[in-house]
Amino acid sequence: MTASLTLRAGLLSLLIFAAFVGAWHVATLPTVGAAAGDVDPEYAALVSGAAAQGAKSAFPTPMDVAATIWGHLKDPFYVRGANDQGVGIQLAYSLGRVLLGYAIAAAVAIPLGFLIGMSPLLHRALDPFIQILKPISPLAWMPLALYTIKDSNISAIFVIFICSLWPMLINTAFGVASVRKEWLNVAATLEVGGLRKAFRVILPAAAPTIMTGMRISIGIAWLVIVAAEMLVGGTGIGYFVWNEWNNLSIGNIITAILLIGLVGMALDLALARAARLVAYVE
Amino acid sequence: MTKPLISVEALAKRYPKRGGGETTVFEDIWLPIHPGEFVCLIGHSGCGKTTILNVLAGLDRPTDGAVIVDGREISGPSLDRAVIFQGHSLLPWMTALENVAFAVSSRHPEWSREKVREHCRFYLNLVHLSGAEDKKPSELSGGMKQRVGIARALAIEPKMLLMDEPFSALDALTRGSLQDEVRRICTETRQTVFMITHDIDEAMLLADRIVLMTNGPQAKIAEVVENTLPPDRRPATMHKHPNYYPLRNHLLDFLVTRSKTFAQDIAGKPYDPRKVPVVRPVPAEALAAV
Amino acid sequence: MSVFQNPFDSRFRLTGGCSCGRHATEAEHAAETRDADERAARVVEGAVMRALFPHDATRRAFLTAVGAGTAAAAVSALFPLATATEVFAQGLKPEKTDLKVGFIPITCATPIIMAAPMGFYEKQGLKVDVVKTAGWAVIRDKAINKEYDAAHMLSPMPLAISMGAGSNPIPWSAPAIENVNGQAITLSVKHKDRRDPKSWKGMKFAVPFDYSMHNYLLRYYLAEHGIDPDTDVQIRAVPPPEMVANLRADNIDGFLAPDPVNQRAVYDGVGFIHMLSKEMWAGHPCCVFSASKQFVTETPGTYQALLKAIIEATAYAQKAENRKEIAAAIAPANYLNQPVTVVEQVLTGTYADGLGGVKKDPERIGFDPFPWESFGVWILTQMKRWGQIKGDVDYARIANEVFLATDAKRLMAEAGLTPPEATTKTFSVMGKPFDPSKPEEYVASFAIRRG
Repeated sequence: MTASLTLRAGLLSLLIFAAFVGAWHVATLPTVGAAAGDVDPEYAALVSGAAAQGAKSAFPTPMDVAATIWGHLKDPFYVRGANDQGVGIQLAYSLGRVLLGYAIAAAVAIPLGFLIGMSPLLHRALDPFIQILKPISPLAWMPLALYTIKDSNISAIFVIFICSLWPMLINTAFGVASVRKEWLNVAATLEVGGLRKAFRVILPAAAPTIMTGMRISIGIAWLVIVAAEMLVGGTGIGYFVWNEWNNLSIGNIITAILLIGLVGMALDLALARAARLVAYVE
Repeated sequence: MTKPLISVEALAKRYPKRGGGETTVFEDIWLPIHPGEFVCLIGHSGCGKTTILNVLAGLDRPTDGAVIVDGREISGPSLDRAVIFQGHSLLPWMTALENVAFAVSSRHPEWSREKVREHCRFYLNLVHLSGAEDKKPSELSGGMKQRVGIARALAIEPKMLLMDEPFSALDALTRGSLQDEVRRICTETRQTVFMITHDIDEAMLLADRIVLMTNGPQAKIAEVVENTLPPDRRPATMHKHPNYYPLRNHLLDFLVTRSKTFAQDIAGKPYDPRKVPVVRPVPAEALAAV
Repeated sequence: MSVFQNPFDSRFRLTGGCSCGRHATEAEHAAETRDADERAARVVEGAVMRALFPHDATRRAFLTAVGAGTAAAAVSALFPLATATEVFAQGLKPEKTDLKVGFIPITCATPIIMAAPMGFYEKQGLKVDVVKTAGWAVIRDKAINKEYDAAHMLSPMPLAISMGAGSNPIPWSAPAIENVNGQAITLSVKHKDRRDPKSWKGMKFAVPFDYSMHNYLLRYYLAEHGIDPDTDVQIRAVPPPEMVANLRADNIDGFLAPDPVNQRAVYDGVGFIHMLSKEMWAGHPCCVFSASKQFVTETPGTYQALLKAIIEATAYAQKAENRKEIAAAIAPANYLNQPVTVVEQVLTGTYADGLGGVKKDPERIGFDPFPWESFGVWILTQMKRWGQIKGDVDYARIANEVFLATDAKRLMAEAGLTPPEATTKTFSVMGKPFDPSKPEEYVASFAIRRG
């Protein structure tokens, strides 16, 4: 029964994909321009095929895009100068920035969230700051970061840090603050002190909430890195998109979009796995 | 008389009332508990039973009065007073064994891992949970979870066991068998127990002495009832004992009417909270025979 | 054939489309055999001379009076910047050889870009990474943050940085203009039949940056045809890479943009080239090569080598016969990321106009490194005209600071010379002459202006 559902769902997915590609193919069939057959060959040599026919250059066909994707996958790690590197290298740059910024954010957010969750005083005192800083679009920090940090790469990492910080901080504080009183009572009657209580009771109790925050954060971080790299340039998959936009190369942009989606999915799955490890049923 | 293991003296709890003044939940509670004794506190909701237990556990502080152990006022929770909570209060991310081991290694931080596990297995076996050691609480039934809670409390070998309506969340069958086991273990180990409940049958089965509390606010201890049933009483058979109904009726009568009217009943009469009346309900013919 | 104008030549013509220098017959007399070092030295002398006498007519008067040789001697004796020439002559070793130079992927940056693949940096013993950058604000910040040792900028930007507009005031230098001309007005193909600007009311246009020659030229052009650029049409700042996409999506009707954007619109059948910017003002500046004053003073050897490389690359780029080779070198993904033919059409000036015709204009883009002070004054007049700067503007002082010029009159007076009067116009835009000594009058002379 389950197998047949999986099978049917898979078939339906394939069908949707085929319909999408089919529609795409039909929509991008070459059209015959009005000026066809009456073009100065010297002029035709200077413009793209479509423009020579009096039309605008067309959106690439599914086959064009497939060929482009294959071209990138065949050789993902080439380096042809500082501004032209393989898509694998660009992804690695982006991932590196995301993981570094994210790790720093986690290192700050979890202990700080712990303190805020434990101390109603700190919670009250820091709440206005968190509430004001949280809704700021991470990219709005970019000019400030560039101005103060004076390094675009560190600025990009800072932007990742700042956008991953809030969900982790808020979730950690919430998770810690809402650890059930009876579990704390158990720890108290067993005379479990300080660190042991933090690591054996509060942390595992709050872990699922913290993991939810971490999962939200990695999603945001991956969304933001692409935009940040488009803004700052240099390296990374966001830069790749920007560079190919420069060249109006839709095929390359679609390749990048697919890869961004796949990597985002992989990051989310990895954290979902990690979340399952710390989950518990009450 | 032996020196009490723990002594509740002049305990009171008051809360500030909205709009000024105070609400007194209970006051002038005096209660000595002797080693090996099983004391049950019975009363309606709102009389502050759980607060008294929490004060004994060190989890709550009284407004007035103190709990004295070994001549000294207690200042907080202690491994000497283990608590079995109303809910099972197991840590859901740990297995049954780990839950018990967490308590044992708190008691004996110097013990090796293997020694701790050995100790835990013994107590899990005592509550008939062999084979379920590696299950998470979510995989256990309500009764099994409460058994783990009992094993956890017993495993630290406390001087005293505090139980807060430990069987109230269980179905009747499970409750019966678990009460039976608790009675067996406590009698065998001569464990000192303080338990609160509002279930008369439970109190009659388990307690040596039953402390009756009036309704709140300003709840007091009305009297102490000595259990007149034989020590070998069982849930299935104890209702056949001649002392059963007199005892039960006395308790029921208190809970249904006297707990409400106690304040008027004693008006004008002498009432010493340190020496409340001790009652031994027996059949009328037995009294006549005396 | 001489590549650059020789400012020491008093017979040098002032008017006509000769800012590229290639058509000045006098300049063609200049020795062709000068080697690169000699050329660099002359470039520096030329820059100093221009700084001292920003107005061509003044300079000519001075040179006719004392003779070119005497002038050169007098200038080098008086003017502290003459040490710059010595720096070149002594051949300092670069203090630092690994450099980063930022650029925006447009053909204006041709000398900066091509110097990497074509070995001009290497020849000076430098290892330069030319780094593609996403926008003008980013390139400014990265240059200020010293991530870049030097950078490609729009000509108004060093001025803005030095004045502290949009950032802290930081002394900035623009030792070389990169290109002249090389921009165009491109319209959507649907406007094929609306070539008269008077019919453009209600259209939406894009320019790369508010503070750019593109903005000022487009506004000037529209205003000359009676269209108020603020009320009759919309002008938006759009990054060059987005322009063709926006034109294609019908979000804008046209743009005045740097190449290769214009040619790319033609290549993709989206737009046609209405007019090259040189048809408005032949020889107008666009982008500059710039570095902080700190970089110039702290690493003079590196600065010397870098500027030498840029000047040589610029000279090489100015020669028509090299243009195809350059197009092939800068078109790949690492640099402009454009089809070679697009870049080639821009650089050779043989291009498809988007209307089915092939046009030939070898001066579509030119490369000339001299920073003319009067350019700065003109830019300031337009900033003032459109209300970007308000109140009294000290045109001469600001233009001086931007283009490394020093107070010529003061220096000459200290030397006991009589400062000559500067009066004559140096260039005209769309037929209207510009006198840099009377900027306020120039601003006031426009019928359409703000404030």
